[in-house]
Amino acid sequence: MSVAISHLDLLEAEAIHIFREAAAQFRKPVLMYSIGKDSTVLLHLARKAFYPQRPPFPLLHIDTTWKFREMIAFRDKTVRDFGLELITYTNQDGLDRNVNPFDFGPSVYTDVMKTAALKQALDLHGFDAAFGGARRDEEASRAKERVFSFRAAGHRWEPRKQRPEMWRLLNGRLGPGETVRVFPLSNWTERDVWRYIQREKLEIVPLYLAAPRPTVERGGQLLVVDDDRLPLKPSEVPLVQSVRFRTLGCYPLTAAVRSTASDLDAVVEETLTARTSERQGRLIDHDQAGAMEKKKQEGYF
Amino acid sequence: MSGSARRKLLSASSAAMAPAPKPLATAANPHHVARSASGARELNGILRLLTCGSVDDGKSTLIGRLLWDASDLYDDQRATIERSGKLAGNSGQPDFSLLVDGLAAEREQGITIDIAWRYFDTEKRRYVVIDSPGHEQYTRNMASGASHADVAILLVDARSGVKKQTRRHAAILDLVGVRRVVLAVNKMDLVDWSQDRFLAIKAEFEVLTKRFGFKEAIAIPVAATTGDNVARASGKTPWYSGPTLLDHLDGLPSRITEPKGQFRMPVQTVLRDGIDFRGLAGTVSAGAVCVGDRVVDVLSGQSSRVLRIATMGRDLEIARAGQAVAIQLEHDLDIARGAVLSGAGHEPKAADLLEARFVWLSETAFDPKAKYLLRTATDLAPVSQINIKALLDLETLEQRPAPHCGVNDIAIARIELSRPVAVDAFADLAETGSFMVVDFLTGASVAGGVIETASTRSPQDGKGLTAQAQSHGFVLSRERLASGLCADLGQSAADRAEFERRTLEVMKLLSEAGVAVERKV
Repeated sequence: MSVAISHLDLLEAEAIHIFREAAAQFRKPVLMYSIGKDSTVLLHLARKAFYPQRPPFPLLHIDTTWKFREMIAFRDKTVRDFGLELITYTNQDGLDRNVNPFDFGPSVYTDVMKTAALKQALDLHGFDAAFGGARRDEEASRAKERVFSFRAAGHRWEPRKQRPEMWRLLNGRLGPGETVRVFPLSNWTERDVWRYIQREKLEIVPLYLAAPRPTVERGGQLLVVDDDRLPLKPSEVPLVQSVRFRTLGCYPLTAAVRSTASDLDAVVEETLTARTSERQGRLIDHDQAGAMEKKKQEGYF
Repeated sequence: MSGSARRKLLSASSAAMAPAPKPLATAANPHHVARSASGARELNGILRLLTCGSVDDGKSTLIGRLLWDASDLYDDQRATIERSGKLAGNSGQPDFSLLVDGLAAEREQGITIDIAWRYFDTEKRRYVVIDSPGHEQYTRNMASGASHADVAILLVDARSGVKKQTRRHAAILDLVGVRRVVLAVNKMDLVDWSQDRFLAIKAEFEVLTKRFGFKEAIAIPVAATTGDNVARASGKTPWYSGPTLLDHLDGLPSRITEPKGQFRMPVQTVLRDGIDFRGLAGTVSAGAVCVGDRVVDVLSGQSSRVLRIATMGRDLEIARAGQAVAIQLEHDLDIARGAVLSGAGHEPKAADLLEARFVWLSETAFDPKAKYLLRTATDLAPVSQINIKALLDLETLEQRPAPHCGVNDIAIARIELSRPVAVDAFADLAETGSFMVVDFLTGASVAGGVIETASTRSPQDGKGLTAQAQSHGFVLSRERLASGLCADLGQSAADRAEFERRTLEVMKLLSEAGVAVERKV
């Protein structure tokens, strides 16, 4: 009768299918590479989709200049090991105005250094399609996202103008001024990402593994002191303890969790039994209910 | 296995993996799945579940309840639901629908207008819940949601029973190929758990489903707000011996991975590695193929044997439906995106005339003068004409002759293409029997449909490369390149690679300029 194919095999095949459809239909795609675990899985799937060729598109990293140092080192090693083309982009105007996560609120900072930077980079290079690692299980407004998510001129996401997707057919014909974000991991969950990293033995940024790191606690969140750019309050003395990250963003905006899971198997075990969803560790999402939906309409990935 | 036996099994296995004390879950939710080491294994397949019904029937509440009782929600998600329940002040009963309702605009309107996707794992498998709107003005949303589903839950209110809407929903499910349906008779508590009421609704439902091609249709009495017969067998329905909703779903087979059906692989792209490897990349959409099998491209009439089935991890001996692979053939055939590989003697149709049904998705009505394209699995062909013959009345299921169609209409039509595409009848092979109609100017997906029959307008020249090339317009031949652009190149490996590079560049430039290119190099 039927031959059981595990759900990870099905998800992998679906993602490969999406990569190939997009590469065949769009003129100039790019892979949004944010160095985190989802990007790691995304890149691995891209390599699988075009094997034995290299992926026929470059990686794009939006560098806010506030990434952990280990993330940048990991990024450069990955690009070197796989022989890939990397484009990095920083919003120079934001940098000139010293837009940083301490003096500005998380939403202004994200808007300038991430959202605006991404739009600038896509426009500068004329990319008509950008692969991203967004998943529908991440957040309520993403639960309705399409695999091919169309953006009107100015990268605006209009929920009511998204194209219906039926069966496995993907229509990538662009209208005037349109670009598209492609989400091969749409149907994956956070746990699938970890299971897959474990199954495929993928290398990840060491920050995902527990290690003694200097930390301070603010507003119930555990921040890691990555370098001397984190302004300490007089009462704050960094405490070295064993922590790791469930999700990686800009270092002051991403909180760590106490953990002793220092290898991949332990991290996966801890994640699969976790009681809280990953975005709790990202401060920007706590701004207000429906925050992500607003950000998306403005073009946040 | 009987429902009660299944229930015993399920509760036994639930008890065996009883979770560590959880603040909100344990006692109230005996079926709650522990998030334990069991999660590390790979789940056995995926079941895509569509829910349809109106807001008033309590659809979001039913799915929310299923998630609450049977799945692995995070504590912060549970806390949010508890909190919003308290804010709403509705007698401490959490508002489970918040687990499903998404966009802010929709929450404010109190309706679900788009399709939302939810994921949860029971101890057996991955579930994907596709939540789609039920009102008549959202037929298109429901049809697109349903096209992804293995099984559909039709929800009715026990007080009102099967409505015109239920009939409409069943017709849409049938159209897009959903073969299993469950009627959840909700709000049984509001009819005092009346067996007579349930049986009357069930009888109506059976009359309705007989009109369609469903493989399986069952009715279950439930109360979503209290969870009776959702994940937990109710003590209030001693007269009901069937399974709970969750038991029933857990027992259903996943689709896609069944090897039945003839082999099909729509070619997505061609992968190259030096001069030794040219792989036809695609996902097997039906059946299976082995190394050594003869495969055919029906559009060009060419065939060859499978030399190698490549994936990054390792080469395969056999590729089955659902697997994404790259196939290298013994003889390098001139095959590109849009071709569908099949076994010899079991080819799809190379057709330029389709009898079809489709749901019109666009707010802009069908325009006989507009230019459309037809997107099949991996092909995109110009439409020369669409003749709408009739519209399907979803409530009476009668065909009403009509020359036009607009948003939410189901049209029965004849589609003529300016060149053949490789397709099947939807009833035989869904993946190669479905299509989208695309607006030439805006790129919008204006209709999604299924092929009933596929044929050739002019059998004499309707097959083979000649017809294909004629309609394509431009054939890029080796001779043409060698005598001009590549006249400076010889036969060394480096020169051959350069020849290949220039060929691809020319094809790219031409297709960017809107010229369809057929390669004969």
